[in-house]
Amino acid sequence: MADPFVLNKKSILDRLGGDEDIFAMMLEMYLQDVDSNCATLAAALASGDPAALKREVHTVKGLLATFSDEEGAAEALAVEQKAKYGEVAGLERAVAALQARLREVAVVLGNELARLR
Amino acid sequence: MNTVLIIDDSDINLTLIKALVSKLGECTPVLFDNPLRALDWCRDHVPDLVIVDYMMPDMDGLRFIGAFRALHGRTEIPVLMVTANDQKDVRYEALLGGANDYLTKPIDRVEFSARVRNMLSLRQGQKFLADRAVHLAELVDERTREIREREKELIFRMSRAAEFRDPETGAHIQRMAHYSQVIARGLGLDAKAQTLILEAAPMHDVGKIGIPDYILLKPGRLTPEEFEVMKGHSRLGYELLKDSGSETLRAGAEVAISHHEKYDGTGYPKGLKGHAIPLFGRIVAVADVFDALTSERPYKKAWPLEDARRYLEDGRGKHFDPLCVEAFLAGWDDALDIRQRFTDEEIPMI
Repeated sequence: MADPFVLNKKSILDRLGGDEDIFAMMLEMYLQDVDSNCATLAAALASGDPAALKREVHTVKGLLATFSDEEGAAEALAVEQKAKYGEVAGLERAVAALQARLREVAVVLGNELARLR
Repeated sequence: MNTVLIIDDSDINLTLIKALVSKLGECTPVLFDNPLRALDWCRDHVPDLVIVDYMMPDMDGLRFIGAFRALHGRTEIPVLMVTANDQKDVRYEALLGGANDYLTKPIDRVEFSARVRNMLSLRQGQKFLADRAVHLAELVDERTREIREREKELIFRMSRAAEFRDPETGAHIQRMAHYSQVIARGLGLDAKAQTLILEAAPMHDVGKIGIPDYILLKPGRLTPEEFEVMKGHSRLGYELLKDSGSETLRAGAEVAISHHEKYDGTGYPKGLKGHAIPLFGRIVAVADVFDALTSERPYKKAWPLEDARRYLEDGRGKHFDPLCVEAFLAGWDDALDIRQRFTDEEIPMI
């Protein structure tokens, strides 16, 4: 179980060269896409297709890493590795945890966006 | 302005990369969330840089690069592959498979800007070299044209020098050259050969430079001995031109030595018969004789056109190659236009 997500704004802004506008735009996009990302993840799991699940988890991994959520990204990597070797069965809990993580991150990012506005 | 093609199935990554590219300045980002649609776009557009994600549905980044590189003229366009930090094997494969460099996710602006700038510099260098190659090719074409024009002028003036020494005029060489071209066209020779004979025919009598004045300018009939000397102008012209590096001058050599040969083998200098006579020689024989007959000289009046035409017709298979005569008569209207265009009073350049 990963620790609660804490926004490390400094590390993200460092990567973005200190550009607050891009940072705010990314928060908006994350919040716009989070439902869709959770749904796509669920659909990939339901399909039983390891390649599809691997691809979607890979996307989630990148998304979490973009917001410096190393722990969330590590969880995603673990699922991605299993999917890579075709081990889809038994991943329901791990995928549900990833969905929960995506939503947890969304709450924190939503608060940050509200502060910026 | 650089066109930067960005392909990523993640909207957030597309937007992020677009924003970073836009901040570089002098760049127009073109976005695709689907690699297949991006590939379609690439068939009609040439980007200056491609930034492509690795993991995408339908076609991954490696396959995209392979397909992109297979398009005509896209082998040198810089490609940056975007991969996750943990995908070292993918990065190796990308670099071996045609990517010029890679970017790791999460994207770092400093690294991103440096790598994109490097790739765009590479592209600018390619464009500069390509533009320079085009410019040099144009320059070479222009200089070659100038040299060709100078060569044509020199040939004309050299041919005129020979003509100055006998009663024939500058207009004669223009007319017979253009008649030769009419015959070449009528025989179905290609445009290059038609131009070649147009430029080579004026040299047919250049060997007259080497004939003594007392024979060349003799007002009366030549003795058999004098005629033998006169006949030497064919070989003299050939010797003068034969070893030239210029295709036109070498064709001129062939014309010089063969334009007095006759189809039935009674001509000179070698008494060649039929198709043993070089084609250009057979063509020029018709053109030269027709112009000589239809031109006024100090010692004769110009023949009426119909009489000259009949002379050519009667000479088919004897003096002349029948096919060359047919080709000339088929272009009769063109021949009359040439006759009007190049009168003995005016001598325009070819």
